[in-house]
Amino acid sequence: MAITKGQGRSFSYAVILGYLVFLSLPIFWLISTSIKDPLEAFAIPPKLLVWPKLSNFLEVFANKAFMLSLLNSLLVALGTVACTMVVSVPAAYGLARLKGVFKNSVLSWLLLTRAAPGMIYVIPYFLVFGRLGLDDTRISLVIMNMIYTIPLVIWMLLTFFEEIPISVEESARVDGASNLQIMTRIAIPIVMPGLASSAILAFIFSWNEFLFALVMTKKVATTAPVSIVNFMAYEGTNWNHVAVGGILILLPVLLFSVAIRKYLIRGMAAGAVKG
Amino acid sequence: MRNQGLIINKGYLKFVLPTYLLFLLLTIVPVFGTMGLSLFQFDIALPSDSPFVGLENYLDLLEDDEFINSVKVMCLLIFIPVLLQAVLGSALALALHEKPKGLGWVRSLFLIPAVLPPIVIGLIWKLFFIPESGGMAYFAHWLGLPAVDMFSDPIPALIMVITASVWAGIPFVTLMLLANLETLPASYYEAAAIDGAGWWQRHYHITWPLMIPIVKTVTIFRVLEALAIFPVIFILTGGGPAGATEPINFFAYRVGFDYLLLGYASAIIVVFFCILFMICLPLMLRVFADRRN
Repeated sequence: MAITKGQGRSFSYAVILGYLVFLSLPIFWLISTSIKDPLEAFAIPPKLLVWPKLSNFLEVFANKAFMLSLLNSLLVALGTVACTMVVSVPAAYGLARLKGVFKNSVLSWLLLTRAAPGMIYVIPYFLVFGRLGLDDTRISLVIMNMIYTIPLVIWMLLTFFEEIPISVEESARVDGASNLQIMTRIAIPIVMPGLASSAILAFIFSWNEFLFALVMTKKVATTAPVSIVNFMAYEGTNWNHVAVGGILILLPVLLFSVAIRKYLIRGMAAGAVKG
Repeated sequence: MRNQGLIINKGYLKFVLPTYLLFLLLTIVPVFGTMGLSLFQFDIALPSDSPFVGLENYLDLLEDDEFINSVKVMCLLIFIPVLLQAVLGSALALALHEKPKGLGWVRSLFLIPAVLPPIVIGLIWKLFFIPESGGMAYFAHWLGLPAVDMFSDPIPALIMVITASVWAGIPFVTLMLLANLETLPASYYEAAAIDGAGWWQRHYHITWPLMIPIVKTVTIFRVLEALAIFPVIFILTGGGPAGATEPINFFAYRVGFDYLLLGYASAIIVVFFCILFMICLPLMLRVFADRRN
């Protein structure tokens, strides 16, 4: 803005630099802890900068239980994405083409579930899955994650489908294509970027999810966020290993977010960051 | 033509209904399940010996000091962080909106905390606050201040949780407000500048009134998600010391899955849900009213 001078500019620099310090301090410390050896970690006074050592990473890579939990997180996230997309894409498309009371009530209900804390679902699932022998399985987590990923993906895809000009579909209809054909051959290819970014958001949600995994898993299906808590108890005060574990969990999320940063705002409005 | 429109319209129900029914099954059934369970004294070891106790669980809550404490902690952990997030997030949005030279890259960087797994956010701050080898100890030493153990007293422990919560919540507020700031008509500001209004005056008289509705909406979202920092608390303080950082959802988790009192835990969760709903209801109604106008 050309008219902004003086006050505005100094306010702007002060706030942004202040925020950057707040933002980066703990992240910087996380990285610094991950590359120290235990001796440096307990040096008094503490050290900020050390010669990077990768031994911590190698030691964590050798920890089978933690590596297995990363694999579980990956499998659960992929399963969640696959199941969510299969049921949500047609629903989002249908909702985009519908009008009236039904559409609004469905959308409101989907939105309301955002307001519900995850805790309200946990106990019945815990009891029922226990009875069905599904406790400590990855499939139970896939099912529970869908409580949040279905509305997330539907709300996000809806905006993409609604942006398709109706005339594009009308000409196909004149040629005798059915609704299903129009969706699969015309609408879906057009919204591919939206499809990909909502799938990634569902992946991130599932990867970050903690409460369901904490309640439902014991040993076999433990995901990385739960495993890191056990890891912390087990490793005692070996904070270097804990820091490496944290970095391994956040890295995929960070990379994915960079890939879809253009669409992140829509996803966040749709509730991508529900914890 | 109109008729055909209707037929086409109905044809799309097939796309929506199966998913909608599946979703209702996944959500409504467990919500009613939790409500129903809250009326029983449920024993997981002996499900058949779980007497119906009516509202007894709820009456017990009124006399449960731990529960009352958790309600207080919940209020603290909702209102203080959300207020700070709203103020700091708005300031950051305004600052980024100025497009200061050389800081354009901050526009993508500031989002980092919003996408990180909550458990990692807790872990990051834990590493920062741990006594002796933490980042805070380093900076305290550097500044010549005594190192503080943040984990053994209630107030410092609350400060830690609030810090992590604010850190995690600012980006969402900033992102939403920034997107809306960009839509404000530049002509308003040009007119005000011609009239000689200064930077602060312009924002106070033009930006603020225009932004009130979106600030309200964003605040509702933050209130609803304020207690989603469950994983952060879990790893950072474990609810301690002595319940000082244990909000109601954490208490419900402990009652349900440490003590296995699932009926009593369900009652806590139902109360939690009602409180959240009541906090948000006036705000939600206002947002709907705004939208309708």
